Amino acid sequence: MRIFDPHIHMTSRTTNDYEALYASGVRALVEPAFWLGQPRTNVGSFIDYFDSLLGWERFRAAQFGIRHHATIALNPKEANDPRCVPVLEEIPRYLIKEGVVAVGEIGYDSMTPAEDEAFSRQLELAREYSLPAMVHTPHREKLAGTRRTLDVVRESGLAPGMVVVDHLNETNVEMVKDAGAWMGFSIYPDTKMDEQRMVAILRTYGTDRMLVNSAADWGRSDPLKTVSTAQAMLDAGFTADDVDKVLWRNPVEFFGQSGQLILDPIPGFDAAELPDAAAGFEGNSVLRGVRA
Amino acid sequence: MTAGTSPMPFSLGYGTNGFTDHPLPIALELLAEQGYGAVALTLGHPHLDPFAEDLDVQLSALRQQLDELRLRVVIETGTRFLLDPRHKHRPALVDEEAGIRLAFLRRAVDIAAGLEAECVSFFSGILPEDTSAETGWQRLTTRVADIVDYARSRNVTVAVEPEPGMLVQTVSDVLRLRTALGNPANLRVTVDIGHCVVVEPAGVRGALLEAGPLLANVQLDDMPKHRHEHLPFGEGAVDLPLALATLAELEYRGVAAVELPRHSHDAPGLAARSMAALRAGWEESLRTRDLERWLQESATAVSADRGSLTRVFAAAGRRLGRGPLRPEADPSGILFGTTSDHARGQLIARLRDILPEEELAETLLALYDGGDSAERRGVLRGLGALAAGSPKLPAAVVAAGLRMTTEALRTNESGLVAAAAGPFAAAHLDQHSWRHAVLKLVFLGISLTAVTDLRERADDELARMAGDFAAERRAAGRPVPDDVHLILASSRTPTSS
Repeated sequence: MRIFDPHIHMTSRTTNDYEALYASGVRALVEPAFWLGQPRTNVGSFIDYFDSLLGWERFRAAQFGIRHHATIALNPKEANDPRCVPVLEEIPRYLIKEGVVAVGEIGYDSMTPAEDEAFSRQLELAREYSLPAMVHTPHREKLAGTRRTLDVVRESGLAPGMVVVDHLNETNVEMVKDAGAWMGFSIYPDTKMDEQRMVAILRTYGTDRMLVNSAADWGRSDPLKTVSTAQAMLDAGFTADDVDKVLWRNPVEFFGQSGQLILDPIPGFDAAELPDAAAGFEGNSVLRGVRA
Repeated sequence: MTAGTSPMPFSLGYGTNGFTDHPLPIALELLAEQGYGAVALTLGHPHLDPFAEDLDVQLSALRQQLDELRLRVVIETGTRFLLDPRHKHRPALVDEEAGIRLAFLRRAVDIAAGLEAECVSFFSGILPEDTSAETGWQRLTTRVADIVDYARSRNVTVAVEPEPGMLVQTVSDVLRLRTALGNPANLRVTVDIGHCVVVEPAGVRGALLEAGPLLANVQLDDMPKHRHEHLPFGEGAVDLPLALATLAELEYRGVAAVELPRHSHDAPGLAARSMAALRAGWEESLRTRDLERWLQESATAVSADRGSLTRVFAAAGRRLGRGPLRPEADPSGILFGTTSDHARGQLIARLRDILPEEELAETLLALYDGGDSAERRGVLRGLGALAAGSPKLPAAVVAAGLRMTTEALRTNESGLVAAAAGPFAAAHLDQHSWRHAVLKLVFLGISLTAVTDLRERADDELARMAGDFAAERRAAGRPVPDDVHLILASSRTPTSS
């Protein structure tokens, strides 16, 4: 079983996590640019962070046989600090880089005028650079925030198929589906979504345009939630092909629109050696292949 | 990415003179099985006796098998002792008496007609000791005129093969012969690419281009520079990708057959390895072609608009691929870089002719500072290409190069560190930093193959550092990397290990 995690913040994770991801079948992932938990105070802090996403983190992932991609943006929370906003002028040069597969995470945190401006400016950049956009929905006021998000996307003229609206749940999935955008779900240990609720949503809304991620970061989270969701799908009677669609082909199709997805196997790692879904996920914990 | 998609426009074959321990029908089956689309059939022992009584019966069976296996065929006539059991290749067309040679070549033309072969190939022969070149040419011209006339009547093309040491030994000799005969349409040229490295003044490419549209038959093999010895690919001086690229450029559509007449003892193995080498050579020729096109387009774009460089540089991987440059020696692409690292490096080397000195240094820094890891490797490889191409670089470029090199050497990314230890570091990095770079490679487990001029720059202090490092590893119960011993061996007066 091959898995593509379309949203995971590996910068905050350890090499043990990389080993566990590879052993469970994760072969590719997307790391969206976000904040550090501690607010940034200047543009240089973004630059070093963006560079490390495209440099050190990609290198680190490759040591464990995993293709690492990134999305680049000024996140909504930090869009409220005028010391950080000038980073918008630096972002275009990152959008032409290899493996930069979307503009993101963008969207709303507190729905301020500053967030409005950064959001629409970055949707424009997505259009200009022919990249998809990864749009985050707010933790508070989720329903109103999603509605307003979809309005701004519509006004931007960016095709809805080029947008994923992330961190959805039962209350706002239909609205995003109707708008024609991709639907992202973050499976967390307690908050956001869990595996069983995810399976129920897939039953109700089907597997088209559905993306499942762990959104694992420095908070309490679990990078293997994509894997356990895949198992929950199989337990609930979804086929291996359904699992492959939601956890591999869908993210490949969505981010593939950037033309910047790199999926050929990493030298030294055997592309064919994937854990057998039927044999369970715990059976194979050995990191295969030679470390580059 | 873009390479490897277009097939070779010509047909790959194999000469039966490299299969003399197999019956002909079995040899043909083996060749078809290995993916060959043609055969170069040498007449005579042991495969097809041109003077056999039941020749017609044999030819029709052979034609049927060639059809079944979908093999094209050319006729070769270089059998060593067919006409004279005591003297190799005698009598020759340049000998005083050549009656049986002429009779044999006419028979070869008949066989080609019967098999619908693409051509009959033959050579001139070695001039006898007591014969002047003038006489030799006279004999040759008259006799070849006779063969050409006969072949025309049977609708067969004949091709003369230049051979080192023979009267006709270069393509221009064949063209001279052809002119003397009034340029008959059915008289064309055979080129053996191995021979070219020995005798052709303009090498393989020059000889093929000189033959141009007259090329009717090609023999493929490797050969050392100063000795007429047919070798398996990779063992001589032939640039196989260049030869294949030149054939494609000429739009050659005929047969190109492997010629290894002294390797029958391992024929199936050589047929397989030759096919692998030819396919790899073709892939490489496509990559080279794509690279050259990209370099030209990029250089033109940057000359017209300097601002386009950032985008062109970033897109190299998408356009040319990101695989290792030398996959067999370096599967991870760390030591010698990737295809796009190399392409970016080559582009930088060309920038020297496009940008003024000051601007070159600034541009390199901007590309490095604004680049991802792959682009930074490209800039470092480019510095290497600049340093390797010129012992004296502008001071501004050296200063910029040193800043980038030392910065790359501070990272822990193996690809960056390896790219920073190349020709630029060898030429410009101070001794202290250079030693630390070498030790860092060992520490990171990167082979010292990545280091340029290791032997030239290694010194006692580096040996001491390597020795201490080895002691530390032993104390920790960990293995000592082989490269530590390499450093100790490279330094002039090694200290204890």
